[in-house]
Amino acid sequence: MNTDPAMTSKSTTLSSLNSIPTISAAVSSSGLLGSVASDNDMRDGEISLNTIEIVQRKFKDNEKVLSIFEAYQIIGQEHRSRLLALVVSVAGGTYAVFSLATARLPPRNVNDLSIDKIFALNETFQIGSDKKGSISQLQFDLKTADEAAVKYFYYPIISAEGASDFETFHAQIISAKFSMTHSTAATESILSYSWLNDYRQIGEVKQELKRRENEYIVFKDFIVYCGTWNVNNKPYSDSPLHLWLSNGEQPADIYAIALQELDTSAKAITFSENRPDPMWISKMLSSLHKDGEYEELTSVRLVGMMLTIIIRKQLRPYIARCRVKTVARGVFNTLGNKGGVAVSIQLNEGNLCFVNSHLAAHMAFVEARNEDYAGIVRGLVFDDDLKRTINDHDHIFWIGDLNYRIEEPPGLQLPCNRASPNAYDVLMKYDQLRIEMGKGNCFDGYSEGRIKFRPTYKYDVGTDNFDSSEKQRAPAYCDRVLWKGVRIEQLAYNSIMEIRQSDHKPVYAIFRVKIKTKDEKRYKRIHEEVLKLVDKRENENQPQISVDKTVLDFGVVRFNELSVCDFTVSNNCPMPVEFMFKVKDPPLNDICEKWLQVEPRAETLMTDSTKRVRVKLLADVRSITGLLKKIRTTNWKFDFDILILHVKNGPDMFLTVTGEYKPSCFGLSVETLCRTNQPLNTYTQAQVKDLMNDDSPEFRVTMPREFFFLIDYLHKQGNKVEGAFETLEYKHARSLQFNVIRDWLDTWSSEEFPGTPQAAAEALLMLLDLPEKPLLDPFVEDLLQTNTAAEAMELISLLSSPRRNVFVHLCMFLRQGIERQYYNLQHVASVFGRILLRSTAHAGRDFYRETRCRDFMHRFISSDIGGTLSTGIADSSGISGVGGGANGGSSNGGGGGDGSNTARINAIN
Amino acid sequence: MSSAPYNYNYIFKYIIIGDMGVGKSCLLHQFTEKKFMANCPHTIGVEFGTRIIEVDDKKIKLQIWDTAGQERFRAVTRSYYRGAAGALMVYDITRRSTYNHLSSWLTDTRNLTNPNTVIFLIGNKSDLESTREVTYEEAKEFADENGLMFLEASAMSGQNVEEAFLETARKIYQNIQEGRLDLNASESGVQHRPSQPGRTSLTNEAPNTKDQCSC
Repeated sequence: MNTDPAMTSKSTTLSSLNSIPTISAAVSSSGLLGSVASDNDMRDGEISLNTIEIVQRKFKDNEKVLSIFEAYQIIGQEHRSRLLALVVSVAGGTYAVFSLATARLPPRNVNDLSIDKIFALNETFQIGSDKKGSISQLQFDLKTADEAAVKYFYYPIISAEGASDFETFHAQIISAKFSMTHSTAATESILSYSWLNDYRQIGEVKQELKRRENEYIVFKDFIVYCGTWNVNNKPYSDSPLHLWLSNGEQPADIYAIALQELDTSAKAITFSENRPDPMWISKMLSSLHKDGEYEELTSVRLVGMMLTIIIRKQLRPYIARCRVKTVARGVFNTLGNKGGVAVSIQLNEGNLCFVNSHLAAHMAFVEARNEDYAGIVRGLVFDDDLKRTINDHDHIFWIGDLNYRIEEPPGLQLPCNRASPNAYDVLMKYDQLRIEMGKGNCFDGYSEGRIKFRPTYKYDVGTDNFDSSEKQRAPAYCDRVLWKGVRIEQLAYNSIMEIRQSDHKPVYAIFRVKIKTKDEKRYKRIHEEVLKLVDKRENENQPQISVDKTVLDFGVVRFNELSVCDFTVSNNCPMPVEFMFKVKDPPLNDICEKWLQVEPRAETLMTDSTKRVRVKLLADVRSITGLLKKIRTTNWKFDFDILILHVKNGPDMFLTVTGEYKPSCFGLSVETLCRTNQPLNTYTQAQVKDLMNDDSPEFRVTMPREFFFLIDYLHKQGNKVEGAFETLEYKHARSLQFNVIRDWLDTWSSEEFPGTPQAAAEALLMLLDLPEKPLLDPFVEDLLQTNTAAEAMELISLLSSPRRNVFVHLCMFLRQGIERQYYNLQHVASVFGRILLRSTAHAGRDFYRETRCRDFMHRFISSDIGGTLSTGIADSSGISGVGGGANGGSSNGGGGGDGSNTARINAIN
Repeated sequence: MSSAPYNYNYIFKYIIIGDMGVGKSCLLHQFTEKKFMANCPHTIGVEFGTRIIEVDDKKIKLQIWDTAGQERFRAVTRSYYRGAAGALMVYDITRRSTYNHLSSWLTDTRNLTNPNTVIFLIGNKSDLESTREVTYEEAKEFADENGLMFLEASAMSGQNVEEAFLETARKIYQNIQEGRLDLNASESGVQHRPSQPGRTSLTNEAPNTKDQCSC
């Protein structure tokens, strides 16, 4: 596959080199048997591309044509060639089959191809081969949700180089579809088919412009003047060329002047003389219609044949393209003494082709002349964007010495000299060209005007007398002007007797040609209208979905309780719609917050279908920290989240997940808990937010009651605490029973603790683990640098009093438990080390750090530490007042309960 | 006729921002459909419209993102600013509060877009002269101080709507011409499409033709 731009430009350069006549018409050793034309083809850089490479040019760099397949469609009575291309978008990772209409098969250029249909290889794509009652076994159809089924047929033989056979192509499509519909990437993430839209839209604009062509195309009259003259190898002389070239009432717009036998010397033939003869050209230029200002557009020569195109100066800006080409049909089809030279031009929107040919001579060689004609038609391909052949033009003028003779029937003396028009009609009955055209042997589709002049060949030079030499060649209409195409009207067709320099008389024909012309003003307006229409369609055809609610209200949301809210997405628009929740920017990098789960995250909806989407909300050990942080930092009314429901190639919809979070002690910092004067369940979300953001150093109690209750309970359990403080797995939190413990804590209940000692131990760990910051914040890293408990105590004494108090009490409680062998020292040191010295940087597990944390805890809870802790406590002598504070502050709690808690705290001391 | 690879040479991304109810969606609708959309519901999300316009004979496809103005969506809509080549910042001339909030919208725009993003201030509802609360002069001064382009417009009558969108495009195009926008940067908000090969003009081809003829 040639997709390398460097390669492409190289081949372009090559082709332009090849278009220089010197090379293309040179004698070629390989051309001895084949025609020169095919030799040209082989050497043409563009043509060296195989079909798959040509098709690739239709696409962008990151879209690769993987395979092509030749097919055709039957539309009405017509077979229409189609190239099917399997294309992958490297960026999107998606595949599609493009059905390309091709002007020629195989295509010679990317411009031969136009996109007819696009089948995205999505899950709705189907390739079927139902052969029931069909006219051919070689058929299949393609369909997707976007495109109705289209039937394709194919031939058993392949003509385009690089095309696959059906089995291969079929297998490639199936495997491409399989790889897409089965890759997890494709189903989970966005299936990107948006690259196809560009092609769909371009097709739409082109089609629409073509459909409305009649609104901006006008036909403008141009006068085309064709002249042909076999100059019989005579050098330029003072012949009155103006008699030949300045006829007609109004000056011609375009002259196509064809000469033959300019130089038929062996030298010229052998070296394929191709330099236009400037003497002749300047003589022509000075002999044109007096009322026009002219310039030479181009000339092309092959040995004796020269074709010069001259235009009125003001036409220059309207000539969009001009190409020349020669085809040699002389000896072995390589020498240029016979053949054709041609010019292709685009004037406004019309394509004109002028051919000057000198076909095989002699009365008997009719078939050779027919073959020459066919050879020129076959071999003449212009190096333009479309690789046009002669027949690819709207208006074709074939002029020259066609060399067809008049076959005199035996015994009939033809009236060559008579001036009566009817006499010429009689002659024409025996004209080989007319006869051959009538049989369909040559010049198919060409017209010629009525001939009302004497045969143009063969005269004694310098006279108007037919050949008086020994040979006595029969007079003939060798020199002709034929035309083919639309909107051509001949105004004149004549020969000039007065020019006597050659054994041929020059011939001219004048035409009025109506040439397709874009009315620029109208075109601009219509183009804009079409673009607007496409815009409008794009806006209107945006995929749309609707949802039954945009606010998902979860009502009261409680810690560790799952809530569910469903909503329905409907597709009411006429096309299938892909929706998906959009991944939000970092740091989230997900479609929703951690406390939410959305199912499904993406879906394709057919027209008029609906999908129920379930949103689950769970503020648990995994997510409560983030949720509370978000509540604390949100300025605006708090929403649990805003989900972005994205419609592929369409709008985004915001779904607000809202509700009222019912506060719980879990996740709140010890400072916040120390600011409460009522159980947490009596607070609103907003009040807790205020508490969280309150940074005054005033606290209601010295230590949160919730800690105190749990430590007190555990303390009372004595040795019934097996397995406590051994892991951070939070197994109990997963059972519904745990929420009773949550309520016991959040109501400051005076009831018995409603769970096991192990559950209480877990709750204690959660109280310490779930706040945004670890207990020993902000000195975590500094504390890890300390080597002795005494050194650490200096820092700990700088902590906020609730933190300091919780830490000291916790250590004393744990130390006592360890001393009595209720708890395992290593487990406790490890577990609490990880919690209390939790890193706020979200790194993975760091075992070295964990070791240091454990060692740090070890120093505080192992029994040999002596009086270190009491130094810390001396600073916070109010510990014994915790219970008192709680008593004083709490208005509802059972006095007895609080009182007994106080007693227990004192007992710890 | 040669086939054009695209219907346009450039894509410019615009965002429309501003308080709720200032008429952002109506401005977009007026621009794309040339119609006033009465009783337009609040945008809950981001919608977009496109229109191909012409600047300097270049076809430009405007891809316009119309954002929700509600305060609660402010954080979410911020993610849509990225890669905008033009920002239309809209306030309502009959509601001073929407004007007062402009500095916060402007801060977001400056923070979230690239330095060359063209910011165009639109005072919408200019048809409601009788209930005007913000004078033209005051807003003009604000715009000048902050280097913004400015027009009062009416999505209802259509007055100045076209102008605001087109002026923004002209300014962006000018930035491209003057090399201030790096088309390769994804944040520029501009995508360049290879221009269509179209017809080769004769002036380019003439020497070529000559070569072919005279050698």
